[in-house]
Amino acid sequence: MAEKTTNQSQGSHGPGRGMGGVVEKPKNFWGTTKRLLTYMSSRLIGLVIVLALAIISVIFQIRTPKVLGKATTEIFKGVMKGNAMQKAGIPMDNLPIDFDKIQQIIITVILMYLASAIFSFLQQFIMTRISQQTVYELRKELKDKMQRVPINYYDTHSNGDIMSRAINDMDNIASTLQQSLTQMVTSAVTFIGVMWMMLSISWQLTLIALVTIPLSLVVVGIVAPKSQKFFAAQQKSLGLLNNQIEENFSGQVVLKAFNREQVTIDTFEEQNALLYKAAWKAQFISGVIMPLMTFVNNIGYVFVAIIGGIRVSHGQVTLGDMQAFMQYTQQFSQPITQLANLANTIQSTIASAERVFAVLDEDDMSDEPSGIPAVVDDQNQLELEHVEFGYQGKDTLMKDYNLKVKPGEMIAIVGPTGAGKTTIINLLERFYDVSGGSIKLQGVDTRDMTREQLRSHFAMVLQDTWLFTGTIWDNLKYGNEEASDDVILQAAKAAHVDSFVRQLPDGYDTVLNEEASNISQGQRQLLTIARAFVADPDILILDEATSSVDTRTEIHIQHAMERLLQNRTSFVVAHRLSTIRDADNIIVMNHGSIIETGTHDSLMAQNGFYADLYNSQFSGNVEI
Amino acid sequence: MIRLAKKRMSTWAVFGAVLFMVIQVVSNLYLPNLTSDIVNDGIAKGDINYIWQAGFKMLGFSLISILAAVCNVYLAARTSQGLGQKLRSDIYRKIINFSHDEMDQVGTSSLITRTTNDVVQIQNVAMMFLRMMIMAPIMLVGASFLAYQKDAQLTAIFLIVLPIMAIFIGGVMYFAVPLFKAMQKKTDRINLVFREGLTGVRVIRAFRRDKFEQERFDDANLDYTQNAKKVYSIMSVMFPAMTLIMSGTNIAITWMGGHLIANQAMQVGNLLAFMTYAMQILMSFMMLSMVFVFIPRAQASAVRINEVLDLNTPIKAPANPTKFGNQPASLAFNQVNFRYQNAEHLALKNIDFQMTAGQTVAIIGGTGSGKTTLVNLIPRFYDVETGEVSVKGVNVKDVTLHDIHQQVSFVPQKANLFTGTIRENMQYGNAKATDDEIWHALEIAQSKDFVSELEGGLDSHVEQGGGNFSGGQRQRLAIARALVKKAAVYVFDDSFSALDFKTDALLRKALTEDAEIQKSVVVIVGQRVSTVADADTILVLDEGQLVGKGSHAELKANNTTYQEIINSQIREGDED
Repeated sequence: MAEKTTNQSQGSHGPGRGMGGVVEKPKNFWGTTKRLLTYMSSRLIGLVIVLALAIISVIFQIRTPKVLGKATTEIFKGVMKGNAMQKAGIPMDNLPIDFDKIQQIIITVILMYLASAIFSFLQQFIMTRISQQTVYELRKELKDKMQRVPINYYDTHSNGDIMSRAINDMDNIASTLQQSLTQMVTSAVTFIGVMWMMLSISWQLTLIALVTIPLSLVVVGIVAPKSQKFFAAQQKSLGLLNNQIEENFSGQVVLKAFNREQVTIDTFEEQNALLYKAAWKAQFISGVIMPLMTFVNNIGYVFVAIIGGIRVSHGQVTLGDMQAFMQYTQQFSQPITQLANLANTIQSTIASAERVFAVLDEDDMSDEPSGIPAVVDDQNQLELEHVEFGYQGKDTLMKDYNLKVKPGEMIAIVGPTGAGKTTIINLLERFYDVSGGSIKLQGVDTRDMTREQLRSHFAMVLQDTWLFTGTIWDNLKYGNEEASDDVILQAAKAAHVDSFVRQLPDGYDTVLNEEASNISQGQRQLLTIARAFVADPDILILDEATSSVDTRTEIHIQHAMERLLQNRTSFVVAHRLSTIRDADNIIVMNHGSIIETGTHDSLMAQNGFYADLYNSQFSGNVEI
Repeated sequence: MIRLAKKRMSTWAVFGAVLFMVIQVVSNLYLPNLTSDIVNDGIAKGDINYIWQAGFKMLGFSLISILAAVCNVYLAARTSQGLGQKLRSDIYRKIINFSHDEMDQVGTSSLITRTTNDVVQIQNVAMMFLRMMIMAPIMLVGASFLAYQKDAQLTAIFLIVLPIMAIFIGGVMYFAVPLFKAMQKKTDRINLVFREGLTGVRVIRAFRRDKFEQERFDDANLDYTQNAKKVYSIMSVMFPAMTLIMSGTNIAITWMGGHLIANQAMQVGNLLAFMTYAMQILMSFMMLSMVFVFIPRAQASAVRINEVLDLNTPIKAPANPTKFGNQPASLAFNQVNFRYQNAEHLALKNIDFQMTAGQTVAIIGGTGSGKTTLVNLIPRFYDVETGEVSVKGVNVKDVTLHDIHQQVSFVPQKANLFTGTIRENMQYGNAKATDDEIWHALEIAQSKDFVSELEGGLDSHVEQGGGNFSGGQRQRLAIARALVKKAAVYVFDDSFSALDFKTDALLRKALTEDAEIQKSVVVIVGQRVSTVADADTILVLDEGQLVGKGSHAELKANNTTYQEIINSQIREGDED
């Protein structure tokens, strides 16, 4: 128990086991349990074998003390016989113990132990395969699901939440399937078996032993919930303290610059003391459970020894049986404690499973044909007709929006920070579908083609330079799986990637790590540009760099972007004056919606939001 | 680890814990002895009174054992958690006073883990130590002694059983531990690929690489599953084998004990007691072997914590600090050279400039050119190698850190806000600031609109790190916070980067027009030419060297580095 609780408090954030013994109740226990078990149904035979093996192993294990006790009885018989003979005045060197019989008993016991051990091993061995395979499939299914849910799901659920389901909850399920399931069976079988064996020896002694059960239940029922409560308090304090540490270390510069050292130390100590209070109580209460159970067990043990001793001396019970009985008494309370613990574990596991299933039950991306006829020989590469759009349950952002884009045109998107420039990208790539009107690609409504077909016309270069943990080469190839080595090299050269990659010790085989500490932010941006080159799309979506990169890299990025833009239709989230002014059309956004569209000159003439935004760049008297 | 525990754990408490543990174990060990008495003297002789007596003695010892156990747990819980509390406190105080050098050396995230997870590790091990780890050897010694007392000849069995057990445990660990370590790595890999799938979902879908992602995940998943199967298969040998060894010991004792009894060299009751001791010996041996698994882990944590406690900041307050007087604001760098700890090259070379009240100096240059380094010298986050930084004509090394931080108001690149209300955050540098002063600062920082739109106004809650505000809003609030504090020098280290052009411009205009701020020196670090163009003096940095100093017009006319920067941001022909 003590070890278990330490493990629990080590498990960090997240629900279920990680919360330090606080059990979360599932909403639909049996429904979810049934569903979780169906995942194992393909391995039903294996499961039945495992259960059978577990039961057989326990049965063998349970019988051995009684059989071995017979050996003790034989020895004791011999002793008593010898004593009687000595009292009768018959001299002897050796007491008359029947070693042939004992040998027989011992061989039986050895065989039983071996059988029990082998069955127990086989049971574990097969169960490992069943549980790991089940979790493997569950993980795979979850990952598949993540690929099928609409982007909307990602926008409305935090990554932390999804990750905690995929990792903590999944771990919870895995370890329960691995351990708790068979433990539950063996505990139950042990409990029943031990009872049975005890009864077969003496019902009177069994009655005495049973008296301890209510006592154990009192311990399990009263102390354990208390310990849970303190663990919850400890976990909460620890969480608050950790938040404080995180915040203050990240902002340590500010703390120092504002002379706040003493103030923060004071508040830290306050929280630290609270944690200490909750923590020692939690540790104390949980640490006491085990000795308490031992004590309860000892009470039973003592009375069994007394009553048993009296009965043996009266010849009502053999000594071997009493020895066995005392061993049973010690084994007796273990399954109770174990089952009580398991009840919590299983509840939290089912709650975890519920959270995982909740993801699996999300709706997939839906495909409904637009019912809008295709325009033959459309001169427009893209056309937005009477587009209406708003995020689910929020205000309408676009109403009756129209835009025609001819091949090769550049559309600039401008607006203050947080103006919702990603909305356009969401609609073009069909991460979201329009709620009214139509977006046509070469005359065909984008809803009437598969997303694959549609997206094969696009490539994106965003400021969020997402690359995956893999080699540079594989990351470049990400743009197009079928691209030849030549094409990739060409792209790398065009995007100024080739030169810096060759300076890396492993060249194109350099593995990008998670923190991307081995190449700079600017170089990552260049890689995403090269990746877009490899994709060689008709239409580009580009987010211009504003992040802090050094002058030289910035020049490289701009060159590369310009090259990439050549002869392509493009949508550019623009930060630079040159881009804005060269654009064939400018989409001006504010507060999530499109407020103006037109060329630079026409928008300046309107003297509206755009003109204001443009002029404000030259704030002072200085001309740039 | 011992070093950490010293001074932070009361010797008396530890001694008490050990003492109670000894009492607990000894009284527990005495129970089988009494059982054997019941058999030898009670049952064999038919003395029922004796049986009752011995039985009540057993109850008594059980009671002593549980009381001792409770005392032990109590002391163990208090001292181990107390150790955690003291460690956290010591580390925290140490780190809060670290200078930039130490923060960089270890890294913020690593410091956070050391203060949180590593301490939890240590306190858990301390708890385990005061319970399990001292119990195992006491039980091992006690049970062995009593077993030996019961029958010396039978103890020979342990000479065979214990080595078998040791070899077996060692063997399992030899194979399982590397696999367990590998399992951790493979878990990380699964998590990594899954997380990348979340963060990159738009890119993945846009490039139609769902299948590739699926396969990548499947590889990691399969790899993990295979490893897990291997590990647990090895572990599934463990339990049955251990049971087998223990049962075997029991059988051997019965067999050999039987012969001893036949030879009248031993009593029956002793056989029963011996068996119980045997089990306790084997159990404590197993417990002891577990210790070897936990110790190295805790040791690694201890090493990491000691590293932090051993770090000392080189930035020392002067013995006889000077005080700032009422002289007007000014800022001067006098032939300053600076080098990062153990660095080969100078990070700043020969920086020289002087600013007086009401002037604005802007610093521009590429990444790594030394802009942030330069401004970090003003509040003495680092010490110069040679030369002198002075504020209000006083060398920053001649005053206390508290006093120099009072004179300099600093807005770092990363806008860190703190949990609390907006008002609390605003009063960070000036606890006495009135609401009027705060609103005024918010107005300059272009934050008045969005703060007044909040339901709670100044009392609105700020979540950890300012998580409930956008990047731009956080930055503006951080600027306002710096303005609430009255200072001789205001430093804005690239604090306008998350603002759009318009807000950036309005903010700087409000800043330079404010009467109060005109009494101070303003230092602005920027990336965009438009941000720095209005400054009285612009410093152009390149690889730590001051390559240009002058107004926008001057530099634009004759400074090549500055021209390059302009060109990278605005192509020719765009100029008005």
